[in-house]
Amino acid sequence: MSVKTTAAPCLLALAVLFGTAACGGGTPAAERSGNGPRPPAGEAARGGTLAILSNQDFSHLDPTRNWTMPEMDFGLRYLYRSLVTYKAEPGPASLQIVPDLATTVGEMSDGGRTWTFTLKEGLKYEDGSPIVAADVKYNVERSFAPELPGGPNYARLVLAGGEKYRGPYRDGSLKSIETPDEKTIVFHLDRPVAEFPYYATLPTFAPVPRARDTKAQYDNRVFSSGPYKIDTYDRGRQLVLSRNEHWDPATDPVRKALPDRVVVKQGLRQSVIVDRLIADQGEDRTAVTYADVNGESFAKILTNPKVRARFHNEIRGCTDTLAMNTAKAPFDNPKFRLALQYAIDKEAYQTVKGGPASGTVATAYLPPSLSGGVPQDTLKIPPTGDVAKAKALIAESGVATPVKVTLSASTGDKGAATAIQESLKRVGVETEISTFDPSVYYDTIGDTARFDGLALYGWCQDYPSGSSFIPMLFDGRTITDKGNSGNVSLFRDRETMDRIDGIRAMTDLKAADRAWVDLDAAIMRKTPMIPLLWLRKPLLTGSKVGGAFGHLIWSGQFDYATLGVGK
Amino acid sequence: MTRYLLRRLAAVAGVLLVICAVTFAVFYVLPSDPAAHACGKTCTPEQVALVRTQMGLDRPVYEQFGGYVAGIFTGRTLGDGPAALECSVPCFGYSYQNALPVWDLLTDRLPVSVSLALGAAVLWLAGGLAVGLVAALRRGTTLDRSLMAATLASASAPVYFTAMMLLLVLVQRLEWLPYPDYRPISEGPAAWAGNLLLPWMTLASLYAAMYARLTRASMIETMAEPYIRTARAKGLYERTVVTKHGLRSALTPIVTIFGMDLGGLLAGAVITEHVFGLPGVGQLTYDAIFKADQPVVLGVTLLAAFFITLANLGVDLVYAVIDPRVRYA
Amino acid sequence: MTTAAPREAAAAVAAPAVRGRSPGRIAYERLRRDPAALLGLAIVTVFVVTALAAPLLAGLNGWRPETFDKSAIDQALGGVPKGDFGGIGAEHWLGVEPGNGRDVFSRIVYGARVSLLIAVAATAVTVLAGTAVGLVAGYFGGRIDTVLSRIMDLVMSFPSLIFMLALLSIAPGTDRVLLLVLIMSMFSWPYVGRIVRGQTLSVRHREFVDAARVNGAMGPHILLREILPNIAAPILVYTTLAIPANIGTEAALSFLGVGVRPPTPSWGQMIDNGLLWYQVAPTYFMIPCVCLFLTVLAFTLLGDALRDALDPKGGGR
Repeated sequence: MSVKTTAAPCLLALAVLFGTAACGGGTPAAERSGNGPRPPAGEAARGGTLAILSNQDFSHLDPTRNWTMPEMDFGLRYLYRSLVTYKAEPGPASLQIVPDLATTVGEMSDGGRTWTFTLKEGLKYEDGSPIVAADVKYNVERSFAPELPGGPNYARLVLAGGEKYRGPYRDGSLKSIETPDEKTIVFHLDRPVAEFPYYATLPTFAPVPRARDTKAQYDNRVFSSGPYKIDTYDRGRQLVLSRNEHWDPATDPVRKALPDRVVVKQGLRQSVIVDRLIADQGEDRTAVTYADVNGESFAKILTNPKVRARFHNEIRGCTDTLAMNTAKAPFDNPKFRLALQYAIDKEAYQTVKGGPASGTVATAYLPPSLSGGVPQDTLKIPPTGDVAKAKALIAESGVATPVKVTLSASTGDKGAATAIQESLKRVGVETEISTFDPSVYYDTIGDTARFDGLALYGWCQDYPSGSSFIPMLFDGRTITDKGNSGNVSLFRDRETMDRIDGIRAMTDLKAADRAWVDLDAAIMRKTPMIPLLWLRKPLLTGSKVGGAFGHLIWSGQFDYATLGVGK
Repeated sequence: MTRYLLRRLAAVAGVLLVICAVTFAVFYVLPSDPAAHACGKTCTPEQVALVRTQMGLDRPVYEQFGGYVAGIFTGRTLGDGPAALECSVPCFGYSYQNALPVWDLLTDRLPVSVSLALGAAVLWLAGGLAVGLVAALRRGTTLDRSLMAATLASASAPVYFTAMMLLLVLVQRLEWLPYPDYRPISEGPAAWAGNLLLPWMTLASLYAAMYARLTRASMIETMAEPYIRTARAKGLYERTVVTKHGLRSALTPIVTIFGMDLGGLLAGAVITEHVFGLPGVGQLTYDAIFKADQPVVLGVTLLAAFFITLANLGVDLVYAVIDPRVRYA
Repeated sequence: MTTAAPREAAAAVAAPAVRGRSPGRIAYERLRRDPAALLGLAIVTVFVVTALAAPLLAGLNGWRPETFDKSAIDQALGGVPKGDFGGIGAEHWLGVEPGNGRDVFSRIVYGARVSLLIAVAATAVTVLAGTAVGLVAGYFGGRIDTVLSRIMDLVMSFPSLIFMLALLSIAPGTDRVLLLVLIMSMFSWPYVGRIVRGQTLSVRHREFVDAARVNGAMGPHILLREILPNIAAPILVYTTLAIPANIGTEAALSFLGVGVRPPTPSWGQMIDNGLLWYQVAPTYFMIPCVCLFLTVLAFTLLGDALRDALDPKGGGR
């Protein structure tokens, strides 16, 4: 999923994985340099009001449209339950899946083409009515409706007959989802998908009763199957949640549902939010930040032990990269691309982004969480670059310097783009920066006719496997003319594609993980992109907030299942 | 009087219609695809096409414009089939990104901006008039000079600078005021005012300074008029001369500017709301502009233009009260 | 708020400038004796010279405005400048920008260039367009006047800040400076237009105009040779007061994120960046704010003094 945006379409059309549905994910980075995972801090008790201070509105809370990283955390932990979910524990344990609405993480048959889930007893919506299998089916069907764009497309890509189906409003029921009784739901896929239980953690697999469906307006008033329901929602201003009295904790081993009320304040200025949490006065003691702590505030936090104790920065499972259009000169020259790996000063980029507290210099595409917790380093370039080597490589490549190129970045990344600009100047590459508003940025670089030169890009894992990373970024068959995402470098490499197919055919998920790491190293030498930073999620809590830890799946955001307010 | 008012109101409507047309033309001519923005980042071409039909972008511009204007008075249904969206009267368009009619968004945010503008206006009028009056009556003294120097400095400081300094001193250092966190007046006037005091002071410090300078200049000019001399010669108390004769006439230019300023602020003080994170119309505007949510931008532009033209009308009416020379033609 | 100064000016120069015996000399004498005017002039001169000599001054300092200096910042703490007062010292005279260590002095000096250039150019376009329209409307009167006046009223009814933001955020930007100049003047020319129209109306039937007409002078000649010189005073005052307003507008637009593009420095952009650092590295926030403040103050002092000096009723106000 692309960084900072809704997930990009993760083209799993070619995913043919066999094997068990066991969690085969990597373990998170074993970095303990003051960063890293740590146990939930503070004491949390039942009751009170938790305030979540945000600089933005949610883009979509409708479960069929929710595909933005921390928003999935919020929706799934507070408002709706999916068939399967991730554990609410800090560190590597958070990568493990457990049953949520279902009694198991799914039963496979027909060699991975059929998946069956059985719902638990005693599941209820906010009005006390029972949650039935047909409601899960209905919401999966909604994810096909063109009227409700934005959500995960995994179901669309794998369900049999999915390519023609256009949602329940136009085409009635989808035959490949069966609900033989109120408790059972069966998915028929058009190819084997061993990773299907991971898909079933997505909000697409949460229940929506047909009678409560308000189509596009459902975004504003979700009918709750989780521990909280929406009291009021003034978009861009405030969202208030109160307890769903019909949610039965006996059916839910994951969510603790500690506070009585959750208030999300939106549209605040991020630097003001951070200042308020640092000052820790009055009601702000029971508040947390929703968005990242801005890098400018790190100095205030890290130099004050009291505040530092309330600071969290879990790794995200994301890599910031510099993408190059490998289809056009001068970036069609592999030697020249490799030279730029040596030219970039990643440390300057890291500093502009906020220093070590906001990320670790990346030396591979896969974040350490996907390479067995060990950061990989193929080229062994110093973090500040190797200008002499870069110049030598450019001379070898035959590209005449000075050479003029353009660098696209979204407006918020002005500073970061300037850092790239400065480091490339050292080797005679003159960069012109053009910035785009975040709302149009990915459309612009996803348009193969318009994207030229360099672009700041990024990718996040969707679930703990290299298969949610390498094929998305480097499989030449996924490239589309418009709305291209993932492989924005337009990297078409026969050898890479063959190896992707080979790994996908592997049945041993552990061996597959190792093979992804090897492929990562091979692609580094061809350099379609330059990895820059493995990001962290810097967050701050008030002094009376307990149970806070960053969840590895939801890009290091607090796990809302355990957040609570102390006495 | 009624006929004059009706004629003026008709003119206001005409101005709004033209502004609406210009805004419409500008946003739909510029190279950006509102449908793609409205749809989101992971839209299929089919989904974009669907939104385009709903927004009516597949029809000629004049037809879109006609539909928009008619929708204000009659409401409208956007698109058809399962995707149809109801937008009831007054329909100022529909924000796809918020899944809400623009009117709902505006009415939700307006109380914040109105609270901000009115509170600040009270402060700056009181402060500006008082300082200006004192300076004018003590013209040439050290008091006058220092007051004028202070107002000049205050008016020259950028509003975000004033905002941050007030925040630093009053909130962070002295902890006299809370971080501004808008509370509706229904939650109690104290919480409402307490949270708005800082933004009020920020806006007021800028405007009060300008009003003080203006009041002083206007007052000095008026007090030199022959009729003031006459009033004094009649043996009236100086207090009566100043308030009844001087101030009343000196107020005329101030009323003009006050109307324009207030009109401009009612639809959102973008910078102040942005700096303090107040969820008013200004913040809505800022967000909508950067999310390319064009129906909202259009709605906000119209709202702002409405306040400005209405304020101008209000100014003309108030003139009649304070300045007996003004007659309706 | 950014249009306040011109409006103030408009109100104050509403009284027509009556012909004196030698109004220019009287004004000059008055200005020479006005300490506020001299102070304003001095500050303006300093900044104008700074802007013109930017490459020279930045050369003295030895730092290009876009060059990073990692040795001047603490990379472990998010790039806080090392040393007190934002890293002010012999190496970096006004300290460094947090996060990347760019030299604040060089950026201020080059930023003065961008900020002043945009403000002066926007003012020039505003005044030229406004004067032309105002002259035509006032001199020809009748239907032309009605149409032009309505257009001016209309443009003044536009919520200009919202419109400028919206236009700048979606306009395809190649030449950002030109775009800023055009869009900023698009909404301010009617303020000049109104003043000029009013002034033109008041002089067009004066004897010297009639005399010129009787002597066979044509429209353009009368407008440019007879009328324009006689209404130059309020235009001059407006111009002086519009410059600081435009400096403020440019800064506000940069502050809201639609100004010039990096790495071009402008004061507004520096303030926007600095705002986030105002507690950790307050000097980085303060320095561009103070520059902006001083420039606006100086132009306002100068404009006020000019207005008083040119005011025929004036003297010692």
